[in-house]
Amino acid sequence: MPRIERSASVSWEGNVARGTGLITGETGAFVELPFSLPTRIGAVAGKTSPEELLAAAHGGCLSMSLASELTSAGSPPERLDVQVKIVMDEVPGQGHLVVASEVDVRARVPGIEEERFEAAVRAADDGCSFSALIRASASVTVRARLEAT
Amino acid sequence: MATERHAEATWSGDLMSGSGTIDSVGTGAFGPLDVSWAARAEDASAGRTSPEELIAAAHASCFSMALAGGLAKGGNVPERLSTSATVTFVPGTGITKIALEVRGAVPGLDESGFREAAESAKVGCPVSKALAAVPEITLVASLDA
Repeated sequence: MPRIERSASVSWEGNVARGTGLITGETGAFVELPFSLPTRIGAVAGKTSPEELLAAAHGGCLSMSLASELTSAGSPPERLDVQVKIVMDEVPGQGHLVVASEVDVRARVPGIEEERFEAAVRAADDGCSFSALIRASASVTVRARLEAT
Repeated sequence: MATERHAEATWSGDLMSGSGTIDSVGTGAFGPLDVSWAARAEDASAGRTSPEELIAAAHASCFSMALAGGLAKGGNVPERLSTSATVTFVPGTGITKIALEVRGAVPGLDESGFREAAESAKVGCPVSKALAAVPEITLVASLDA
């Protein structure tokens, strides 16, 4: 299997409390997204944060993994809607930690029974590289339900 | 106080020929972003992002903030930090490596002091801790001339 590399770059100016940074992905899919400490911790004003980017990464990873599992089970999805919430908290003695990723899936999958759907969701969670990584240090929960097709 | 951040993604069709979208994120800072397996695993030139690129962005931004914080605490506020993160993904195996590289313009600090602060940021930033299960995380840190 080929190794795949993906890069992003950040420029930061100033101290952490008052400085700001810009994030750019090498593919050009996102360019110079601004971020700062106040928007990372508190009020949200159209500025992203590392945790929001992790939420987006987990959503992309799990939706692809589930599409793959459903297809292997003979039922490619019509549509998957995935919501992810990343929770960062201050843990006594350890500083700020990502403590949880909560994933919520709504799926339209023609012709699949509930039991096979649930098995595909479990396999997708096992197979998603991001789920595996953060489960080592945080709780990962995946809730999924089938919608009428 | 816990901080929560949200994202929503949609996928249609099978893995190889289907496609998806990171529809929106809680802050509205970006999106919708298109994703696909081909863009994730093969062609990086199509302007489509991937989970690995988003992880690279999360790590580079987290590391930069932690380093700015550490430098300022030591009395050396950085003029500018330029960080890149490269995530290596092997389909079937997972994420095998993250390479961080940082160049800094930090008045009054020498090379070894900068490298020490960068090592601390690599260990201490929340995304590094969240991704501690990655087999290899490397760091190259240098000051701008």
